[in-house]
Amino acid sequence: MESGLSSLLSVSIDFETSHLFFPRIIHWTLAGLFAVILVTRVLPFLAAVTRGERTLPIVGERMDGLRFFGTLALIVAYFYLMTVVGDIFPYTGYGFLFVSMAFVFLMSLMYMHEWTKKSVTIVVINAVVAPSLAWYVLAKLFTITLP
Amino acid sequence: MEFLSLLDITFFLLAGFGALVGIIFGAIPGMTATMAVAVCLPLTYALGLHHGLALLLGLYVGGISGGMVPAVLLNIPGTPSSITTTFDGYPMARKGEGEKALKVCVIASVVGGLVSAAVLFLFAPMLADFSIKFSYVEKFLIILLALSVIASLSSSMLIGIFSGVIGIWLSLIGDYSISDGGNGKTRLMFDFMEPYLFEGFSLLPVLIGIFGISTILLEAEKGVKSDTANERIKIGKGSHFSLSIFKGRMTNLMRSSFIGTFVGMLPGVGGSAASVLAYTQEKNLARDSSEMGKGAPQGLIASESANNALTGGALIPLLSLGIPGDSTTAVLIGAFTLQGIQVGPLFIPENPETWYVMMTALVFANIVMFFLMFYAIKHIAKVVMVPKHILYPIIVMMCVVGAYAINYGIMFDVWTLLIFGILGYLVQKVGLEVAPLIIGFILGSQAEIYFVKSLESFGTFSIFFTKSPIAVVLWLLILASVIFSIVMGFKSRAREKMELTQISGSTQTDSGKRHDTNSR
Repeated sequence: MESGLSSLLSVSIDFETSHLFFPRIIHWTLAGLFAVILVTRVLPFLAAVTRGERTLPIVGERMDGLRFFGTLALIVAYFYLMTVVGDIFPYTGYGFLFVSMAFVFLMSLMYMHEWTKKSVTIVVINAVVAPSLAWYVLAKLFTITLP
Repeated sequence: MEFLSLLDITFFLLAGFGALVGIIFGAIPGMTATMAVAVCLPLTYALGLHHGLALLLGLYVGGISGGMVPAVLLNIPGTPSSITTTFDGYPMARKGEGEKALKVCVIASVVGGLVSAAVLFLFAPMLADFSIKFSYVEKFLIILLALSVIASLSSSMLIGIFSGVIGIWLSLIGDYSISDGGNGKTRLMFDFMEPYLFEGFSLLPVLIGIFGISTILLEAEKGVKSDTANERIKIGKGSHFSLSIFKGRMTNLMRSSFIGTFVGMLPGVGGSAASVLAYTQEKNLARDSSEMGKGAPQGLIASESANNALTGGALIPLLSLGIPGDSTTAVLIGAFTLQGIQVGPLFIPENPETWYVMMTALVFANIVMFFLMFYAIKHIAKVVMVPKHILYPIIVMMCVVGAYAINYGIMFDVWTLLIFGILGYLVQKVGLEVAPLIIGFILGSQAEIYFVKSLESFGTFSIFFTKSPIAVVLWLLILASVIFSIVMGFKSRAREKMELTQISGSTQTDSGKRHDTNSR
C-alpha cells in the first residue's frame, strides 16, 4: 500500500522539458478554478443579466467614452512618438521632453471640465515646466537614460 | 567606538537629505524606493563609502515610507509594499481623516523601522543562521503560504486564488532562466515575441502599469470629475490625531513589526508580502476586525509598521549572506560593489566600522523620516493635492520615466505599462482582484524554481510534507489561513442573510447593489 502511494507521488522531470513542467500545473489549476468560477459565479450572474437585474461590466455601463478612449489614444501616441522624436535626437532625452510637453498639455485640456483663461494658463505653464523640470533633474543632474 | 570618528555633519545631512528625497520619490505614484536608490547610485561613487551609505539608507527608508501618502490620499500605492495601506487609508481619507491616517502611518512606520533596526543589530547572525537553513522546499512553502494568505484576504477566496494563479501564469512568460538552474527555453509565447519577452515582463513596469495607468483609465472612464477631485484628495484638517489611537494596539504594532522584519529577512520574499501578511494576521487575530478595509487605523498600523520593518529585515540576508531581501537591497549590492566591498558571511567581522556606520545611518534616517513626515505631512501631501487634470498627465509622464529607466532605456518596458494598465483595468472591471494577481506575479517565477528544483532533487511530491518540521509548520499555517477564510466566508454570508431578512422593505435592486460592492 505504502509503495503504491509513494509511486503515485514520485515524479521525474526531464531537463529538456522542465521549462514546461510548472506552467502545465498552472494551466490545469487555472482551468479547474475557472470551471468552478464559471459554475458558481458567472452563470448565476449571466442569468441575473438576462432577467435584467444586473448589467454586464464595461459594455452595459455608462462611461465617458471621449475621455476614456481619448486617454488610450493619447497614451499610445505619446509612447509611439516619443521613440520617433527620440530617434531624431538620440541620447539627449529630447524625445521625452518635447513629446511630454504636448502630451501633458493635451491630456490636461481633455480632463479639464471648465475652460477658463486662468486654468488654461496654468495648464500651459504646467505642460512646459513639469516635463522640463523632470528632464533637467533626471537627464541632466542624474544622467538617467530618457527616450 | 572608533566608528564615531567616521561620522560628521555631512554624514547626517546626507542621511536626512536621502530621507527627504526618498519620501518625495515614494510619494509620487510610480516612483519607488528602488528607483530612488538606483537614481542616486552614481552619486555615491563621488561620495565615498560611508557618506554614500548614509544617502542610500536614507533614500531606502524615506522611499518605503513615502509610499503611504498616495496610498492614503489617492488609493494608489506609491510603492508596492503599501498595497495594504490603501485598504484602510483611502476609506479614512474619504471620510476626511486623511491627516489622521497619515500620522498613524508615520508613527507605525518609525516604530517598525526602529524595531527592525534593533533586530538587525542584535540578532543578525542568529536570524541569518535560521533562514539559511531554508531549503527550496521551505522557500516554496513560504511562497505558497504568502499566496494563500493574500487569497484569504480577498473578499472571496476562490476569486483571490484565481487572480493569484493568473499572476503566477503571467510571471512564467519568458525563459526558464539558466542562471536559476533552468534550461533557458521560452514558454507561453510565440516566437516573434522573443526579442521583447525573453526575460518576461519586468516587475516595475508591470506594477506601475497596473497601479498607475489602470487607475487613470478607471478615472477617465468616469469622466475625471473635477468636483470629486477636491473631495478625494482632501487631507482632512478637521480630524484630530492623538496617541490614544495606539492604545490597545501595541500587540498589533509589535507583531506587525516583527512580521515585517522576518519576511524582509527571507531572501526574495520581501516587498508587499510583509505588509500583506501583517495585515492578514491582524485581521485574523484582532478582537474586532470588522472595520478593517473600511477605514480602521489598526489596518494602517499593521501595514505600515510591517513595510518599514522590511528595511532592517532585508538588510540581514544582504549583509550576512550577500543575498538581497528585496529589489532595493539588490541595488544596494551595486553600491557595495562600486566601493569594492564584498557582502557575505565575512562582511560584518571584517568591517565592524562600516557595520556600525550603517546602523547609525539606518536609525538616523528613521528618525529624520519621522520628523519630516509627522510635522511636514501637510506640505508633503500637497504633492497629491494638485487638481487631477494637472496631476494625471504628470503621473503618466513619471510612469514612463520609471519604466524606461529601470532597465536603462528599454522602450518595450514602456509598452508594458500600457499592456498592464489595460489588463489591470479589465481585471478590476470583471471583479477579479488586483492584489493577489500582483503577489502571484512577483512570487511566481521563484515559486517555479523552488518547486521544480525540489522535485528534481527528491523525485517525489511527498517531500513537501516530510522535508522538515518547518515544512509541517508552514503547512499548518497554510491550512489555518484557508480554514479561517472559509469560516469568515460563512460568517459574513450568514450576517448578510440576517441583514436581508431584517431590511424587509429593501428592494431587489438594492440587495443586488450591495452584493456588487461586496464582491469587489
